[in-house]
Amino acid sequence: MDDIAIGKGRKGAGDLLRKWGTLGGFAALCIVFSCLRPDVFPSMGNIRNIIDQAATLAIAAAAVTMVMSTGDFDLSVGAIASLAGVVTVKVMVATGSIALGMLSGALVGLALGAFNGLLVAYGNLSAFVATLATMTAIGGLSLLATGGSTLFASIPEGFRTLGQGTLGPVPVAVIVMAVVVAAVWVAMERTVFGRKLYAIGGNAEATRLSGIDVRLVRLGGFAISGLGAALAGIVLTSRLFSAHPQAGSPLMLNAAAAVFLGATAFREGEPHVGGTLLGVLILGVLGNGMNILGVNSYVQQVLSGAIIILAVLVSGLGGRKRS
Amino acid sequence: MEGRTEPSGTPVLEIEGLVKSFGGVRALKGASLSLARGEVHALVGENGAGKSTLIKVMAGIVRPDAMTLKVDGRAAAIGSGADAERLGLSFIHQELNLVPYFGVAENVFLGKPYPRGAFGLIDRRELDKRASAALAELGVSVPMKVPAARLSRGEQAMTAIARAFTCDASIYVMDEPTASLTDVEIERLFAVISRLKAAGKTILYVSHRLDEIFSICDRVTVMRDGETVTNMAVRDTDPASLIRHMIGRSLGDSFPPPLSAPGATVLSVEALARARGKPVSFELRSGEILGVAGLAGSGRSSLLKAMGGATRATGGSMLLRGRPFAPRKPRDAIRAGVVLVPEERRDQGLVLGRPIAENIALPNLARLSRLGVFLDRRAERAKAGEAAASVRLKAASLAQKAGQLSGGNQQKVVFAKWLLDDVQVLLLDEPSRGVDVGARYEIYRIVREMAAKGAGIVLASSDLTEVLGLADRVMVMRDGGVEAILENRGLDQETVLRHCYGEGSK
Repeated sequence: MDDIAIGKGRKGAGDLLRKWGTLGGFAALCIVFSCLRPDVFPSMGNIRNIIDQAATLAIAAAAVTMVMSTGDFDLSVGAIASLAGVVTVKVMVATGSIALGMLSGALVGLALGAFNGLLVAYGNLSAFVATLATMTAIGGLSLLATGGSTLFASIPEGFRTLGQGTLGPVPVAVIVMAVVVAAVWVAMERTVFGRKLYAIGGNAEATRLSGIDVRLVRLGGFAISGLGAALAGIVLTSRLFSAHPQAGSPLMLNAAAAVFLGATAFREGEPHVGGTLLGVLILGVLGNGMNILGVNSYVQQVLSGAIIILAVLVSGLGGRKRS
Repeated sequence: MEGRTEPSGTPVLEIEGLVKSFGGVRALKGASLSLARGEVHALVGENGAGKSTLIKVMAGIVRPDAMTLKVDGRAAAIGSGADAERLGLSFIHQELNLVPYFGVAENVFLGKPYPRGAFGLIDRRELDKRASAALAELGVSVPMKVPAARLSRGEQAMTAIARAFTCDASIYVMDEPTASLTDVEIERLFAVISRLKAAGKTILYVSHRLDEIFSICDRVTVMRDGETVTNMAVRDTDPASLIRHMIGRSLGDSFPPPLSAPGATVLSVEALARARGKPVSFELRSGEILGVAGLAGSGRSSLLKAMGGATRATGGSMLLRGRPFAPRKPRDAIRAGVVLVPEERRDQGLVLGRPIAENIALPNLARLSRLGVFLDRRAERAKAGEAAASVRLKAASLAQKAGQLSGGNQQKVVFAKWLLDDVQVLLLDEPSRGVDVGARYEIYRIVREMAAKGAGIVLASSDLTEVLGLADRVMVMRDGGVEAILENRGLDQETVLRHCYGEGSK
């Protein structure tokens, strides 16, 4: 029997492209922008700027990678981020305690994420439908809590540090991002929980028959996604030094885009946090580079969409070849 | 080839030298089939003999590796469903292929031009009228507005049958059409079949029910192990000799000898009920291999699933080593040492996209971790390597994805998942399906070794050679219940198969 036929037969140009194409594309982007604006793009200041700007998205996207690795989807990321920011500010203003405010925001995210998980894993709703509904409802909660306006009065000055401060030369937000990404990497690649996430994403029924509580693990994934979204929302709120009921909205689609882009890198079609980080950086570099070149922001949006399609097409070709 | 009687005239359809392999396993090895105009032709054979694959080739669903096909004496080819339809073939498949949300009328006319009314829109009234007429011809009335998903199994079957009959075909192929029909519905189907036959149409009739074959068929083709064994007039044979042809005489496969004798009772099953089928009772002894035989749909899989906690039993009780055992989920059963090697290896047994080592570790993660949280990757590699070695897995490395292995090696990985455990009861559902002969022997050896270690083994298989080669006792299931439990001493396939067909007393 040809035990290894399929595995060995796939080393070729196509294979290399699939494995390294996304990273290559990222490098190409950097080179193109550096050539076009050698004075601005490759400077230390600009690179720091890109990473700093990417921090909130990286936090949210890293956490949502867990949900997406089980084959589920979380549309409520942006709405949770917004609400977490609102709650944080409200509690801070009411109690005067920064720590208590941030803790409340984070717990709200964790609870809402767990609620999503409950609907999907135990209520058997499709993840898409469930989180579409919670996204809408949570958005409404934020508007209710703020009366539709931006909260900025009497926020304690110390709250600026999280989003705007630096530790030596490194922005605090970037440190938070690094910690979150590292924690998600450990959870997914080095813990029993992460192993179960990947197994469910590969074959939920085989995983269940292997004695694993599939529903509990899926719930856990959603809870962590909610927590990550809340952390991103809190950092964003600190950066803006105000809580807007829709501040987090762009996070949802960008986080999903980053995970999709990342899933095309290094491994075939499987979400993983290293790839997600690359996806976030691609989006960040793209936005930054086009801004420097003065590309119309509407055109930027079109190009971002086109690039995601291109990346997924390249990796999708591999999928078709396999079957 | 023996007892061949060629009908007079040019066959309306003739297949020769049909070969088809799936991933290295040969499902058809030069099968042939010849149908005469105006006959009802039975196609019989054991599960896995290749009947369904043959039909799927005729329907253009499966592409053959080699085949010569003649329709009305002229060479033809079938590359798609449309080709089959053009050649005058119409099908009632075992899977009814209805659109669950569509009503009866839409399903009956699926893939055919719907009647059009004003502005080229679908003429619903005309559609319903034609569909009712088609069903009336079958002598049944089925509610027209109800989505197919909400119809009874019999009504669904009648809808699929009506769809096949609205085609003006010359050959109607029916794969187990009566499996879910009531006696009245079966009689109506038979009446339609006789009318079609009188109109000069040809019917290829696949069924496990021998009484049906003897009541409506003119000729019968018997398949075994992917080959056509014989082709004869029904009036020249009888059920017993038909069964003998289906089994064949060669018991060529060899089986490893038992390593130990059965010991004390490990599991008592008392009136265990599932959603379908009758309650089942039996006892399983330590070190014993209990074979479970039965035709497709006889309830073997559902029994094993209920025992392994994959589905919940609806009644009855079990005692495992004298203690109550009532698994609500697979986890409960696994903790008690009752493990299932499921029927669908690729869908239920393995995570194909993940490495071999991860698959073996999956049920054992608690043991292969530090503090129950962090993976102990060194222990994982060591234990997975140990398990892989003891099943003699052939793989490039344990980092290789499970999906890249051959069927036999995939099955060895599924066994390896459970080797790290203290297994009390091992439930095997079709353990050698899609496994080549060499790997099969090794899997049998693993089964023997696990029995020798004291596990009670339930071996459900549609391969009677395998059941008789390994089992201490054979439990025959029929219509969801136990038909007979037979000591495997001097037991032959004919006896077992007679029980499978409910003819055990004759």
